[in-house]
This record gives sequence, C-alpha cells and structure tokens, in this order.
Amino acid sequence: MTTPQDINALLARVARKDRAAFADVYRATSAKLYGIVLRILHRRDIADEVLQEVYVKIWDRAGDFNPEMASPISWMAAIARNRALDEIRRKRPESLEDHPEFLDVPSDDETALQRVMRGEDGKRLSDCLSRLDADRAQMVVLAYCEGLSRDELAQKYGQPVNTIKTWLRRSLAQLKGCLGS
Amino acid sequence: MIDADDIDGLAGEYVLGTLDAGERASVSARRLREPALNAAIQVWERRLAALNEAVPAVTPPASVLPKIEARLDGFDVAPAGSATILDLRRRVSRWRTTAAVASALAATLALTIGVREFAPKPASQNLVAILQKDAASPAFLVTVNVDDRVMTVRPVAAKPEAGKSHELWIIHDSLGKPKSLGIVDDPARAVKPELANYKPDVIQSSTYAITLEPEGGSPSGDPTGPVVFSGKMLPAGDF
Repeated sequence: MTTPQDINALLARVARKDRAAFADVYRATSAKLYGIVLRILHRRDIADEVLQEVYVKIWDRAGDFNPEMASPISWMAAIARNRALDEIRRKRPESLEDHPEFLDVPSDDETALQRVMRGEDGKRLSDCLSRLDADRAQMVVLAYCEGLSRDELAQKYGQPVNTIKTWLRRSLAQLKGCLGS
Repeated sequence: MIDADDIDGLAGEYVLGTLDAGERASVSARRLREPALNAAIQVWERRLAALNEAVPAVTPPASVLPKIEARLDGFDVAPAGSATILDLRRRVSRWRTTAAVASALAATLALTIGVREFAPKPASQNLVAILQKDAASPAFLVTVNVDDRVMTVRPVAAKPEAGKSHELWIIHDSLGKPKSLGIVDDPARAVKPELANYKPDVIQSSTYAITLEPEGGSPSGDPTGPVVFSGKMLPAGDF
C-alpha cells in the first residue's frame, strides 16, 4: 500500500528526474488514473494513448506539484481528467453501438454515490450532494465521473441546454456553500 | 461583466467537465494568465476530488508503461552537443496512421523531428533526421536545435527537375495561409527557418510541407505545386 505521503516523496524525486521513482508512481497510481480516463472516454485504445500523455505530463510537471495545495492523487487525477475531457469534447467518438468491443468498461454494482461515502472528504461531499434535488446531484456525478456534456445531460433529462447550464451553476453554488470555503 | 461569481461558476464547470470544447480551450488559456481563475479551478478540484473515489480503478495494459518510458527516453536522447541519427524508416509506418488524420494535406509521408518545448535543458540538443518517402524519392536532411527552436533543412539527394524548386511551408490555422520557410534546393545553402518567430504551440502543432514549385519558389507566395512531403512535429518520444 502506497500512502499519499509515499507518493509525495516519490513525486519530489520525479521532479529531480528520477526514473525509478517515476515507475513507482506509475505502479501506485495508474489503475486509478486509467479508471478515470476510461470512464470518460469509453474506448480503451484512446484511453491508453491519453494515459501515456498524462504520465508524460506528470513527469514534466512533477516540480510544480505542491503537497500543501492538493493530495498527490487529486493533482494527478486533475491532469488525467483535463486531458480526457479535452479529448472527449474535441470529438465524440463514433457511436458506441458501432464498436461493441469498446464497451468493455467494467460495470459496477455499487452506485457511484455510495462509493463516495467512504472517507472524510467523501462523507462531506456526499452529505452536500444529498441536499441537492436527487436529479441535480446525479447530474453532477454524471458530469464529473462519466464526462457527460451539457448537451448529453440535456438529452438525458429532456431539458434545454440553457436550463441544464443554469441547474449546474446553481448546484455548484449550493455545493460550495454547503462545503464551506 | 466578469465578476467573482462568473469566474467561480466557470471554474466549477471547467472542473465538472461540462464546458464545450471552445469554452474549455478558452479557460485553459486564461488560467495561465489569470491567477484568480486558476486559483478558483484549484479550489474546485479540491472540493470535488472525493468524486474520484466513485470511479472504479482499472489496471491499464502492461504495454502502457514501456510506451511512456520510450517517450521519456525520446526526450532524453542526445547527450550534450551530440547529434542523433534517428532511424526514421522504422517509425514511418507508425506515423503514417496518425498522419492520415493529422495532416491537412495529402499525407504522402511524414517525418518529424521532436522539439520539446519545456525540455530540461542539459546542454544544447541537436536532432537530425532524413526526410525521405522511399529510396527513389528526394531526401532532405533536417536538423533541429532544440534549445533555440531552429530547424535547418538541406537537400541530400533532392534535385528537383529542371526549372523547379523545393519549397518548405509551415501550415497552421492561426497563420491563415501556408507561410513559406524558404527554398530547400541548394546543398551548400541550408535553409534555416526562424521558428523562434512562431509561437511554441504553433510550432508544435503546425503541419510542415515541402512542395515542388517553379524555380525560385512560388511566384504568388502560396504553395502551388505537388506536395513532396508533409508532416507534423512530434515530441521526439513519439517516434
């Protein structure tokens, strides 16, 4: 088990271009980051490519990581999500129905929200999410975890895109108020 | 009117992932020069980070780490002052697939030299490559000084037919028309396109092409002749 402190120390070595430390960081974090990008991209071929770019970026930017600002995994997850979202927004891949082989993303029985309950921060966030209307909370989770765009949310919830945008902004403001700071 | 609420809402949606491609690109660019926006993004990343727990981990294929390490090796080639001859032929086939999508022109072939924008700076790094579609085609020797972002192009076995010249172009949406980087026919006089005049992201994402033009170069200033090569720059690690 690699603790966040371990990863902090490893990242400090990566910042000094230590390749062994980099391989350790990869081994400790790649399943998490791959899960995140695959969830958004749905295609293993694209996710493989994106994951490579993400780790090259981590190698380049390890010196910018500030353990006082974020946990190492959150910092890396932000890099991974940004890269995956840039990719998926730029061009939605062809319809998934055309590529059943790409639908091999593991399904999960536990609902996303239940899993968020784990951990201090998770409890706080899921408490705050549960104070939103159920569909607004679900919308936030779908956007963050599954990478759904405003258009896709509009389709799913049968609402105009502008309404979705208003709801999202309002939900974010409520979450901010609930979480404090 | 941009007020704090707008910035915070925009930052929140950026982190949530619901901005469209244009909005994302604009926020990505703005956060580099707007500390308030960047800070708001970081706060939202912290607020929502627990949601990462909601996504199940998936072990990536074993092939990914070696590929990443190869990319890092690519960046790290060429110790101080030395030149590296890259065996490009081996890499062309892989590149072709990408080029077919990437190139704005018919992707006859592509060869690219890595220029790494934020390379750790050992000493000056030079990369050398030969651009050649196949044994019968003209060949050009290209060197890139990574630190200075200067590319040198010199014909090796690239005699154009009489009355014609090979001309090098840089092609990028932001530049409008293709911009000439010079005639590349004289083995004694290498062309040294001043890539430093272009923004690093433009250098990185541009397509480079060599066309066959009337002697002395295209009279109109726009490419007119057939494309001999075209391709993009890739980080050296991508070869």
